[in-house]
Amino acid sequence: MSTPHVLLGLLATGPKHGYDLKRDYDLRLPKAKPLPYGQVYATLGRLERDGLVARAGQEREAGPDRTPYAVTPPGEAALDSWLGAVEPPLPHLNSVLLAKVIITLLVADLSRARDYLSRQRQAHTDRLRELTAVKTDPTASVADVIAADYGINHLDADLRWLRTTLDRVADLHGEVTAR
Amino acid sequence: MSFLGTRAAVRSYGPTPALRGVTVDVAEGEILAVTGPSGCGKSTLLHCLAGIMRVDAGEVFYRGRRIDTSSEGERARLRRTEFGVLFQFGQLVAELTAAENVALPLLLAGARRREARTAALAWLDRLGVADLADQHPGEMSGGQQQRCALARALVTEPRVLFADEPTGALDTLAGEQVLGHLVRLAREQRTTVVLVTHDARVAGYADREVTLRDGVLDPTGLGIAAVRR
Amino acid sequence: MLLRLALAGSRTDTVRVVLTGLSAALATLAILAALTVLAIPTVLDGGSNVSPQYRNPLIAEAGLRVGVAATLVLLTIPVLVLAGQCARLGAPARDRRLAAYRMAGAGPRQAVAIAATEAALASGLGALAGLGLHLVGRQLLGTPGADGKLALPTDVLPPVWQLAVVVAGVPVLAGLIAMLLLRRVVLTPYGVVRRVRTRPPRPWAGLLILGGLGTAALLPPLAQYLDRSGRSMPYELFGLVVLVAELAVTLGVIVGTGWISHVTGRLLHRFARRPAGLLAARRLTADPWTGSRTLAALLAAVLFGAFAAGLRIRMSTEFAAEAEYARRSAEVSGLPYEPWDTTFYQGAYDLVYLALTIALVIAAGGLLVALAESIVSRRRAMAALVATGVPRAVLGRALAWQTLTPAVAGIVLAAGTGITLQRGLYDREVSSGWGTVCREASPTDCVELPAVVRTVPLPLDDLAGFVGVALAVVLSLLLVNLLLLRTSTAVEELRAT
Repeated sequence: MSTPHVLLGLLATGPKHGYDLKRDYDLRLPKAKPLPYGQVYATLGRLERDGLVARAGQEREAGPDRTPYAVTPPGEAALDSWLGAVEPPLPHLNSVLLAKVIITLLVADLSRARDYLSRQRQAHTDRLRELTAVKTDPTASVADVIAADYGINHLDADLRWLRTTLDRVADLHGEVTAR
Repeated sequence: MSFLGTRAAVRSYGPTPALRGVTVDVAEGEILAVTGPSGCGKSTLLHCLAGIMRVDAGEVFYRGRRIDTSSEGERARLRRTEFGVLFQFGQLVAELTAAENVALPLLLAGARRREARTAALAWLDRLGVADLADQHPGEMSGGQQQRCALARALVTEPRVLFADEPTGALDTLAGEQVLGHLVRLAREQRTTVVLVTHDARVAGYADREVTLRDGVLDPTGLGIAAVRR
Repeated sequence: MLLRLALAGSRTDTVRVVLTGLSAALATLAILAALTVLAIPTVLDGGSNVSPQYRNPLIAEAGLRVGVAATLVLLTIPVLVLAGQCARLGAPARDRRLAAYRMAGAGPRQAVAIAATEAALASGLGALAGLGLHLVGRQLLGTPGADGKLALPTDVLPPVWQLAVVVAGVPVLAGLIAMLLLRRVVLTPYGVVRRVRTRPPRPWAGLLILGGLGTAALLPPLAQYLDRSGRSMPYELFGLVVLVAELAVTLGVIVGTGWISHVTGRLLHRFARRPAGLLAARRLTADPWTGSRTLAALLAAVLFGAFAAGLRIRMSTEFAAEAEYARRSAEVSGLPYEPWDTTFYQGAYDLVYLALTIALVIAAGGLLVALAESIVSRRRAMAALVATGVPRAVLGRALAWQTLTPAVAGIVLAAGTGITLQRGLYDREVSSGWGTVCREASPTDCVELPAVVRTVPLPLDDLAGFVGVALAVVLSLLLVNLLLLRTSTAVEELRAT
């Protein structure tokens, strides 16, 4: 995820200081990978250096963490071009799952790979059920549901991949060890 | 002995085996998903559990009693009073309105027309389709039909709901609505649910999942095809 | 191209094509026979209008020939209706096939055109076969018997243009009927017909029946008027009016059955307490035409049966009156009374009854097919109902209600209309004799002997017979269908598609 662009987007709704920015981030992107304070300030510093954000006045009992930032016109342009750009779909097939299956077959045997896949499937299924519970919770917001949906559909794709891989694992084993 | 279940259930269609010795237990109030690829025998398992079909061998029991040995009339009574059934599509009577379809099980149980209609309307309302009460199934979307069918399955307040690919013919959002209602109402009424599906996302609504493959339970959930080689 | 597409299909389609062809052949034969009878030149043989070359007086006497021809033409009506019903045979499978054509880009009109082409083609072949049979039969039966007389009018042939019209007209008619029946079929790729509410039937039926009966009621006064002015009613006019009136009331009865189905459905819906009544009521109102369509041929047969029963009892009453007059005149004259042999005429009516019974059996075939189709087309919903615990008995009772309501109403209506029409067309009183009879012993001793007047009674026995046979046919078909219901609601129907 492009953290600078996300922060630019959150600032576009009005000037905020670091603490508010972090809170806003957690609210808008629930269940995303947590964003530490340090990274918020480091990113703000870089955005300021590049002229994409600017300090919007100084609050009176100012420490560095009470300084509000606002988006500059070049910042708005950068955000706009990011929003308009199409993300390359799945440019690298570098999932940990995929790598693990290949390596397991390289260093261990078929039954080890199958054991791993079976346990991985169980973990996926459990997580999928968890996310479904999040989604069906009557208090869930639309943002929660959309985020849960994203996870559910990816887990479903993984699960289908796992099942097919199980059927191919013997062939794969032959191929991996032959080289 | 649990609430509902089978012991070594076997069932064939002619020479084709559908169940080859399945033992499964369903706890009261639980939502159990039965998954597996098509042709694995999951629908057959549901039909046997619901007393729609007899097993060739093995046992089927419900609340401490064997139901595989009881008569067709007895099992029909059980299905009418204790069980509700929801299929993929096509279960509504085309000539009856939504309200009449939902009222049908109550009428069968001997309710008066007026009472049955009132109860049916209340259920259609709970499922958000009260405005369709006087429409015929042919005039509704697939999702609306399934919600009416769910109302018909639940109107007798059954102890167990059997759902066989209830969203199989629906798009994702319509399916989600049906499943959302199904799970919510089942929890409210403490209804036990047996949910047959091939879709992991549908199975995600359940508390627990068992997987069938080639007519037997598959503990890995991944299929014995892998062990074959 | 249409031809190729129309001929592609499954075994049911083959059965339908063969049946359509057969009924077209039957209809052609009946019409040709009627035309042949009409084509017999009238020989004025000392004013007796008898063609002496025929053994059978029904054909030999010009006065009787119109009746024979009319009967033959009327018999074609149930046969044609059956041909129409055949177009519905195996309809679900065919609808799917047509839907596949639509998926391949054919418009709805083209799809119907394909079906109509099929029906027309099949009946075209049937009509040709009928013509062939007629021509061959002419040759085979054309040898005079030992008495030098012909059993059938094999020595005459209707004009060629009439033959052409018949052979061309039957397929065109069959194609039109097929188009009419398929008009409402909504085609989807899955062969699923989305039902939308149909308009409730309007009471056109009443107009048709009343119109037919009214036309018939005009005839006797017209005949009287012509009589008084010294002319007589032309046979052609009489025959035409009878035909038109019969067609109108038959159509009226068939349409009327749809209306009755709808109305009884509504009543049943209001008052039914049990689910079986509710199910039947909704089915009757949802598609009141199924009942009338499937019963069409049966109702036509019952209607003609009632008509024939009226004619027959009138004839018997006439004979009785004549016999009575003959007896009285024999008493007066002192000559021995010789009763008249009427077995021939009774035999003629036995033949008509036989023909109608055959028509009933043909109609039963169509009815069986249509009923079975209605079960098969909703087997999934019914199997689902059984799965949810609806006892099969409830479904059976619903089926019984749904079948018997239009059947009983339609049969009674048909019988009533048929007999009313007959009694409208013909006087309800017959008289015989009227003249002076002189004693054999003393020829001058003469007595004025008044005519014997008899009122024609209602042919209650025969009517009950036709109604009874028709009801028995419907009931036995219902039993067959109840058995079919058992297999159609087997749980296998629920297996995911």
